[in-house]
Amino acid sequence: MGLLTILKKMKHKEREMRLLMLGLDNAGKTTILKKFNGQDVSTISPTLGFNIETLEHRGFKLNIWDVGGQKSLRSYWRNYFESTDGLVWVVDSADRLRLEDCRKELSTLLLEERLAGATLLVFANKQDLPGSLSKDAIREVLALDDIKTHHWCIVGCSAVTGENLLTGVDWLLDDIAARIFTAD
Amino acid sequence: MAALGVEVTVPKDDGETNTAVNVPESVLRRDQARLEEAERRRNVKESQTVKEEKSDFFTSTFNAEKTAVEEMLSSSNFSDRDKAAKTLEEITVRIQQLQKFLNDSMLFLTQYEIRQAQASMQKLQSSLDEKRDLVLPKKKFAFRSRNAGATKQPEPSKQTTDKSASDVGGTVVVDAAISVYQCGFSNAENQVLIMQAEEIQQKDVLLSHLTNCKVKLYGCPSTLHIKNIRSCEILCGPVSSSVFVDQCTDSTLVFPCQQLRTHNTTATQIYVHVTSRAIIEDCREVRFAPFTWTYPGIHDHFKVAGLDPDRNNWTDVDDFNWLAAGTPSPNWTVIPETERISSWDFVGPS
Repeated sequence: MGLLTILKKMKHKEREMRLLMLGLDNAGKTTILKKFNGQDVSTISPTLGFNIETLEHRGFKLNIWDVGGQKSLRSYWRNYFESTDGLVWVVDSADRLRLEDCRKELSTLLLEERLAGATLLVFANKQDLPGSLSKDAIREVLALDDIKTHHWCIVGCSAVTGENLLTGVDWLLDDIAARIFTAD
Repeated sequence: MAALGVEVTVPKDDGETNTAVNVPESVLRRDQARLEEAERRRNVKESQTVKEEKSDFFTSTFNAEKTAVEEMLSSSNFSDRDKAAKTLEEITVRIQQLQKFLNDSMLFLTQYEIRQAQASMQKLQSSLDEKRDLVLPKKKFAFRSRNAGATKQPEPSKQTTDKSASDVGGTVVVDAAISVYQCGFSNAENQVLIMQAEEIQQKDVLLSHLTNCKVKLYGCPSTLHIKNIRSCEILCGPVSSSVFVDQCTDSTLVFPCQQLRTHNTTATQIYVHVTSRAIIEDCREVRFAPFTWTYPGIHDHFKVAGLDPDRNNWTDVDDFNWLAAGTPSPNWTVIPETERISSWDFVGPS
């Protein structure tokens, strides 16, 4: 048994993952986090700084980092890149005016070396709003099909109703687990 | 003598053969044992190490694969577009696999080897990128260039709903996106603009490029976007999620909402009822006061929007450009009670 195998086995035992949640302001990052954790979502303020939640899901210990998306905070995003296993990019599907901004920010992130090994999950949030774009439209606008550097998946969801949040996170966990825990 | 000799020689012979057999045998046995022990040790050692975890193995495998990819890059025929795309795809996958191999091997490599390998990976990646740019030039701003193409399409395509627009392509979606905002007012001057509850009920409302207008929205939208506004007075019923304000000057904004996000706004008064918190970013001379407007049915609208009428955090304003705790932000102030507007029927341009 090689050292690498031992290390992998150790990591397997811990089954711990670090997820980083980013996106433009008002995308619904904090709402997704709180909803996923079963907390009240009606009193959420715009995030000044960041939130961390640690939760157990399917036998994994998830450390989810939710960092504020205001323009003035985006330059601090890079402080959170280190040892990220999964990147959750949250999009406000109803905010058509800023989709181009959203695409630019995402493509900048994907060039980041420290996120090179991370799996990307895109949440097309706010699907409950009547004017929201479908997940296929978002996929098109964000040019996700051009991404060759990361494993990615887009899931249409609603943080308010909780629809599809589990689907998305489960996919992310499976992808990460396949990569870091069962490579032997 | 002979007999003696025989007698002597026989035992001597015996002795000789005995020693000739005996001594080498014990040596042989020891040698055998030694060899077996060595063999056993080697086996144990081998079973503990994995062939793949030797830097020799790594170097040779890595270099072989690297050369293979380089050859693919330099010798493949890229004249046929489809074929070229396929080849590039294959190379990308191989480079990714190689990177993974390197990542997996990092634990037992020396710093120097890791650096060398990473440098080669970078070189490979950049030559792949160069090749790709050369063979399949990327549409740099796909968004706009395709936009130009989209305008050539017949006008009716703009009226498609977003669901059908979604399969046409990203650009058209964004293009259509703005027109799909069925709700709101844009590009107006010196007007009184009014919308009733049923028109805006739980919709995304956009007010943009208005100058010197008076806007009244008697209802509860889901989100309110206010963009590029100058010298306007905007009143709105309870907004169930957030109000988004961008590029506003010399205006008065009045509404209840769950969140207020204000950007690039100057010299604007905001009479707000906010159940979570208001934030400002890149703003100057923004002044806050509690929401005071009322119209028949506003209490029901508070319920529809899910806002608590008794919870107003209008003084809790976070300035994203002023993170110093303790010292208040110079970018916003509270409107003194004597200066606050209390009647909304006769104020502002009309």
